[in-house]
Amino acid sequence: MTIFTRDANGMMRDAPDSQRTLDRLNVRIGGAGHRTMVFAHGYGCDQNMWRLVAPAFESQFRTVLFDYIGAGGSDISAYDADKYGSLEGYADDVIDLAGALGITDGVFVGHSVSAMIGLIVARRAPHLFSTLVLVGPSPCYIDCGDYVGGFSREQIDELLEFLDSNHLGWSQAMAPVIMGNSDRPELGDELTASFCRTDPDIAKRFGRVTFLTDSRAELGAVDARVLVLQCREDIIAPPCVGDFVQRAIPGSSLVTLDATGHCPNLSAPEATIAAIEAFV
Amino acid sequence: MSETGHQQADTDGAIDFEDLFETAPCGYLLTDRDGRLVRVNRTFANWVGSSPEALRGKRLPDILTVPGKIFYETHFAPTLRMQGRLDEIALDLVTADQRKLSVLVNAAEARGAEGADVQVRFAVFMATERRGYERGLIAARDKAEATVANERAESELREQFIAVLGHDLRNPLASISSGIQILAKESLSERGSKVVALMSGSVVRAAALIDNVLDFARGRLGGGITLSLGASEPLETILRQVVSELQSISPDQEIEASYALVEPIICDRVRIGQLLSNLLGNALTHGAKDQPVRVDASTALGDLTISVSNGGAPIPPAALEKLFQPFFRGHDRVRQGLGLGLHIASEIARAHGGTLVARSDENATTFLFTMPLAKAEEPGE
Repeated sequence: MTIFTRDANGMMRDAPDSQRTLDRLNVRIGGAGHRTMVFAHGYGCDQNMWRLVAPAFESQFRTVLFDYIGAGGSDISAYDADKYGSLEGYADDVIDLAGALGITDGVFVGHSVSAMIGLIVARRAPHLFSTLVLVGPSPCYIDCGDYVGGFSREQIDELLEFLDSNHLGWSQAMAPVIMGNSDRPELGDELTASFCRTDPDIAKRFGRVTFLTDSRAELGAVDARVLVLQCREDIIAPPCVGDFVQRAIPGSSLVTLDATGHCPNLSAPEATIAAIEAFV
Repeated sequence: MSETGHQQADTDGAIDFEDLFETAPCGYLLTDRDGRLVRVNRTFANWVGSSPEALRGKRLPDILTVPGKIFYETHFAPTLRMQGRLDEIALDLVTADQRKLSVLVNAAEARGAEGADVQVRFAVFMATERRGYERGLIAARDKAEATVANERAESELREQFIAVLGHDLRNPLASISSGIQILAKESLSERGSKVVALMSGSVVRAAALIDNVLDFARGRLGGGITLSLGASEPLETILRQVVSELQSISPDQEIEASYALVEPIICDRVRIGQLLSNLLGNALTHGAKDQPVRVDASTALGDLTISVSNGGAPIPPAALEKLFQPFFRGHDRVRQGLGLGLHIASEIARAHGGTLVARSDENATTFLFTMPLAKAEEPGE
């Protein structure tokens, strides 16, 4: 793994400190190129979410995959309920990661809640990423006045209660080992054993932050070029929400993928790759 | 599909697979790769109060509760896509009349020949009873956790109280002790000297009790028994001092002590003194008054051993097992203290990487402390 130890201003950073950041977030670096493309996963999963998409960019970009604290191979002991009680804490980590890797003028590809995290990063550290790809973004999941988020407050409360009571086996489903064997040779055994491993307690808290945060105020003019990738049919981030996001970010583009569900990076990787390639 | 809708086998004993699919005692669903239902068996359709035809074209999340929908989209579908299968996922279906139906779902991707489109097969099992049972278990677990947390908090408070009390008792005791020392230097009547000696013994006993209580409270509060190891001062001096102190408290009882400490000993002198003091105090309290108490301290075969024996009635086997538990007191409640002395002694032994065992029969009751002289590892807390 190549470790770059210069920050945005070309200053040498404390290398061990950078290494700690990369270890904490289970950072994986691939590909090579002048620009760096960072792929950020959404709620309920980890960096494996990008496994069918990221390799397509390795010939032109340095690609970076990572897990948020609490997900995948991250350092769970680094979880701090205060810091991660808002999306700002997650944005801190992206900024630290970009600093540790000396990223400037990069591409940030954020799925689901990471789309909003990417917008926070763009506001706070505009030099890091000059291109943002927002996959299935939703600034607010709850309907509010004229705004249609897709869910009522009661429904989200029901979800949070479900996360708290855990009785639907969420915790078990999140547990490390899901017996894995499949006719999918492209996936290693190591992957099937760890896919979407998430600490149940942290998953609960992350769920609360994800589904209760109203980030509509984050939308607006940003320096970066912005692409919104919307699935044709998505109950978590419905098309009307994708339109809302696109309209609220001046100069942004919207591409609707012929895909259903909330994870086009898995259900329609080719279309996702093509849309990102055409934009960057 | 059979006409009657009942499972039937034809006359050859072959299975009617069509009927098995439709009326199996579990739900079968087939979806395309978008999760759209392409085929649903009648068992499942009946459960949700619908028909296979009406369900066709819907997506599985359409008939799930909201948490189920979100779970399906953020975890179930991606995991299934990546792994090819997923088992025992708990979900709630929403029936046509808006009831919740708890189910367990197994799902597996199936690839058709020559790379045809991916199909996903689901087997759905009713889990209403099981879910009720699980909710009961979770409620019971939560209650148990709450109770434990509560009790832990209470006992911590109690132990903190003991620690503070023990600490505060030391100051007045120190004043009494210096008062006694001043008095002892005055010329006193024979009676006065006797009283001063008795008071002095009582102060020693009270101080030992406070030490034990404080050690115990500290152990419970997470501090443990801490050692300050040393090898310079001879251990024998300390042991002799303990024996003479306790002899002064029980002048009428004979104590036979022998010391054969020839090898260098790395230990916490004060703690080993406390250990002997606790064992000897115990022997003097419970042993037969007309038989001597024996103290033997020696180094041999790489071990330090200190044994304390007394005569008298043997300790019943049942009590022998519990001797080292904190606050253990035998039947003889009047003469006993808090029941911490032997517990602390065993903790000191443990902290030194050693052992403390008790033997008791008609001839004698013996407590034997053994610790290795050369320790391979750091002593425990």
